Amino acid sequence: MSTAQPARAGVLPNPVQQALERMGLPAEDFSTMAGPLGVTPRHTIHAEGTLKLHHYLPQADELYRVPVLVVTSLVNQPYILDLVPGQSLVEFLLKQGFDVYMIEWGRPRREHRDLTLEDHVLGRLPRCVERVLEHSGQRELSLLGYCIGGLLSVLYTALHADAPVRNLVCMAAPVNSDGLESLKAWMGEPFDAEGLLAQHGNVPGDWVQNALRALRPFGKVAGAAGLLNQIDRPEVVRSHLRMGKWESDNLPFPGGVFRQMVRDFLRGNRLVQGTWEIGGRRVDLGALRQPLLHLLAQDDHITPHASSRDLVRLAGSADKQEIVLKGGHVGLVAGRGAELRMWPALEAWLAPRSV
Amino acid sequence: METVDWNAVNPLALWRDWIVKSEAQWSQGLSELMKDERFSGPMGRQVDELRMMQRQFAEVAQASLAAANLPSRSDLEALDERMGRLEDGLAQVAAAVSRLQQALEARQVVAPTAPVRTRKPASAGPAAAEGAKAATRAATAPAPAPAPAPAPAPAADPAPGRTPTRKARR
Repeated sequence: MSTAQPARAGVLPNPVQQALERMGLPAEDFSTMAGPLGVTPRHTIHAEGTLKLHHYLPQADELYRVPVLVVTSLVNQPYILDLVPGQSLVEFLLKQGFDVYMIEWGRPRREHRDLTLEDHVLGRLPRCVERVLEHSGQRELSLLGYCIGGLLSVLYTALHADAPVRNLVCMAAPVNSDGLESLKAWMGEPFDAEGLLAQHGNVPGDWVQNALRALRPFGKVAGAAGLLNQIDRPEVVRSHLRMGKWESDNLPFPGGVFRQMVRDFLRGNRLVQGTWEIGGRRVDLGALRQPLLHLLAQDDHITPHASSRDLVRLAGSADKQEIVLKGGHVGLVAGRGAELRMWPALEAWLAPRSV
Repeated sequence: METVDWNAVNPLALWRDWIVKSEAQWSQGLSELMKDERFSGPMGRQVDELRMMQRQFAEVAQASLAAANLPSRSDLEALDERMGRLEDGLAQVAAAVSRLQQALEARQVVAPTAPVRTRKPASAGPAAAEGAKAATRAATAPAPAPAPAPAPAPAADPAPGRTPTRKARR
């Protein structure tokens, strides 16, 4: 019988590991430094296909009356909003007394290549809203959408005049494709979207990742250089590893939604023109009547201000506000800057409107 | 005479600092170039060509891997999809358990666990003030956030299946 022990990743000759050891970071820490992400306790209360609707266990003795439904992006993992304890927007909201639900769209497979915006905005999202109301025993909720999740929240609310939405909060939601100059140029007529979808069904996650990275071509290099200069600070290294893990974990873009986004949103810019039809119904931003808050980042290279500022301008809400904060697209919702700037601003706006 | 501690000076660190500080400018410059039509048009075509090359290469690699009795990328993707279906099935079981729990709470078989929904916002504290101060631009329609009138509590039972306890708490 062999007595050989299985090799452990931690004892393999790894130059990066050795460099970290020389800098005083213990070997056994490296593999676990990022830690498990998205660990705030929760229950899944609804599931259909890849979609999961989670309810986070309350962390306050007394809750605000109106529950909050977080609508995440289709192409990014939702745990950016719940990184680790102490760096989690979800945990912050729970501690402030909000009852938090979250839609996780999941990783679409080839069989989901025909999912369209209609499926999301007229089917899956309304069913989640219904389930949240049933679960919470309330008649209305607040929607909190991030990035494309913000766009989906806007489309849903604008298309449902009787939507039980008490408040609509968007974080870096794009509405005007003229402000997305790079993406618009790359996805113009010469780009064969149909060929890509015929080959893969959905847009693969690594394609999404490359497109997002190309929006800031030297970002990765600068990030690595900055990290090396702070390698003696374990918390910085941990934070970098967490972000790196999230950034390299993109979700495939469902084929049907991608086709509509390229044709109607990016190339046609139909949302701000008021000519976008979803399920045969025209989307009119003027039909938004709910209190509206749009939180934006001034250095956002993914959703630049030019692509998002028209939401508040065009919304028909009497009570609407746009807040532009320091930082970038991810720093808006996660990290030290978000903790100091965005989270308190969100709470200050949402709390009085949630009673 | 004061001496310079040359051991504390790290030219590599200075060089990396320069990269970090210059990155935004470099990225912006390259982005400007890439979104120019003279660049983006050929780039779109190049991407399509690469995609087709990748497809052909994948087919060749798949055949070679099959001959060597090794799994290909598509085999692993098929496995991943199967795992995904299992995960989705488990989520559906979890959701069904959640509904069952809710039904038991409604029949008072188990005690409801949700806290009361009577929270009121505290007066603007230091956190809110800091958040507002941090806002570099806050704009538009009416002045920020006077608390709107609270929505009236529902008169009729809005949610079948909720416990009387929870309704009374609302």
